[in-house]
Amino acid sequence: MSKDARPRMAVNLGGIEMRNPVNTASGTFGNGEQFEGFYDVGSTLGAITCKGVSAEPWEGNPVPRLAELGGSAILNSVGLQNPGVPGFVKHYGSYLQGLRQKGCAVICQVAGHSLEEYARAMELFEELAPFASGFEINISCPNIAAGGAAMGATPEAAAAVMRTVRPLTTRPIVVKMAPHDVAEIGRALEAEGADALSLINTIPGMSIDVRTRRSRVCRPTAGVSGPAIHAVAVRMVWECAKAVKVPICGIGGIACGEDAAEMILAGATAVSVGTANLVDPLCAARVVEELEQWACDQGVADINELIGAFEC
Amino acid sequence: MTMERDSAAGTAPATDVHEFVVVSNEPVADGVWRMRCHTSVAPLLAPGQFVNVAVPGDAAHILRIPLSFSAAHASSETLELVYAVVGEGTRRLSGMHVGDVSTMVGPCGNGWALPTRGGRALLVAGGVGLPPIVACARMLAEAFVGFDVIVGAQTSAKHVEYLLDELRRMPPGEGCDCARKVLVCTDDGSLGTRGFTTDVMADLIADRPYSQAYTCGPTPMMAGVARLCEKRSIACQASLERMMGCGFGACSCCNVALTVGGYALCCKDGPVFDAREVVW
Repeated sequence: MSKDARPRMAVNLGGIEMRNPVNTASGTFGNGEQFEGFYDVGSTLGAITCKGVSAEPWEGNPVPRLAELGGSAILNSVGLQNPGVPGFVKHYGSYLQGLRQKGCAVICQVAGHSLEEYARAMELFEELAPFASGFEINISCPNIAAGGAAMGATPEAAAAVMRTVRPLTTRPIVVKMAPHDVAEIGRALEAEGADALSLINTIPGMSIDVRTRRSRVCRPTAGVSGPAIHAVAVRMVWECAKAVKVPICGIGGIACGEDAAEMILAGATAVSVGTANLVDPLCAARVVEELEQWACDQGVADINELIGAFEC
Repeated sequence: MTMERDSAAGTAPATDVHEFVVVSNEPVADGVWRMRCHTSVAPLLAPGQFVNVAVPGDAAHILRIPLSFSAAHASSETLELVYAVVGEGTRRLSGMHVGDVSTMVGPCGNGWALPTRGGRALLVAGGVGLPPIVACARMLAEAFVGFDVIVGAQTSAKHVEYLLDELRRMPPGEGCDCARKVLVCTDDGSLGTRGFTTDVMADLIADRPYSQAYTCGPTPMMAGVARLCEKRSIACQASLERMMGCGFGACSCCNVALTVGGYALCCKDGPVFDAREVVW
């Protein structure tokens, strides 16, 4: 291709058309609106993934929810504070509709503590959120009936969540996976009709204040994120991509175009910028530019040629 | 209940990333530093708002440091930050040299509001809660609202003298029939009254009527101020501190428990709250 030609950057994440591969990780980007002072979100990103929303409002966890770990990582335990689907649609619906009109896909994240709650949230979304390009099912929510273990902790449990929500929408369903057994659980989700998989969620971790002997956040265990987890995330995307045919959105410690490019080479069709949004609010927009430059430097006409192009 | 407050009025300047250049950075009391910097965010800031500062020099610590300011000069685009060196981030901040460049996110949050009813205001600051209280005092002086100030610190060496002087020098409020009091106290009695700001406040409010209080400092102190205000039906605004992720409402990490139930976000709904809204 000629030196000046720009590569085609559009990708398709399981039926979600994205103008470029850059998405945002749920919980790190508000619902987009908070970033409008930094750049024009709708004209820049391929997609945004909204905060997790349940059928009814959730209060979220008590104080403190966040600790800096000092190894290029942070620890958080927000507990999916959200206003419920009707409240979410009321407050953000028109803004998110505007993003769609500008060509940015909108992925709504669905949360629940039980299969019934997932179903109810999905039904409400289906009814109230015409602006959603697709849905991301967060299977890391604590399962109240199982004493707080993640809803999708096993292939069987993950499949049960997918079976519950699949009949309730014809729009694309992405499943946000926890960082374990990604090949096996990925295959189970694919078999139940998941259109795409996104991984990884935060890695469970602990941080103890040795003076007070208490956790540095409100729960004994919480989620580790940030550049420190990037290499783990790339490995899991690679393992999962080898196991499934559905497209993958790679998430974990992405802070620059090169980090995103690694994910794509490992097999990701799209990427989500997460924690870096908090540190550098311009990060996702910069990743769009840097990723295009990388594709250009690789001499491809279409970024899709680079998906899974890792040479081992 | 979960708070989903509507966005602030459309006229408020958008939160953005601003470059800053260090103009000066020096200690002004024991463990307390003052940084003056040149930055395009300065003219956009209202008293009581804050900036979220990226401190270079350590890739292992990724979060910005939220800092309130004592003064923001619009015409010279200069911002004055007074901060305590308490952890890794503020230690690195104190190591920044004249001419060093980094970025700050701002304006962040909602600042102080002018009193909604007439009468005198009382400002209560503890430790490095002082800088936003000085910014508040300047706002009140410019609005011709009379006020008194109580400033507490652990010990004499931790009092920021030049800020106390600024408080004393600000013009008195219009129609104010009594001279301003700037009362100082220390935990160890090395300067001013020995004891807590709330002890001083209890005596002062028995003596003078106030319609509005403003407070910033350690949470137990602000809780005490809020209790005294509640008893006397004095309106009270408190500026809260939290560990913060983004500083602009994206991550929901800096929650503040509300008396009506549920949580607000310190960065977006605060940092200034009506003290009655907050579970102390």
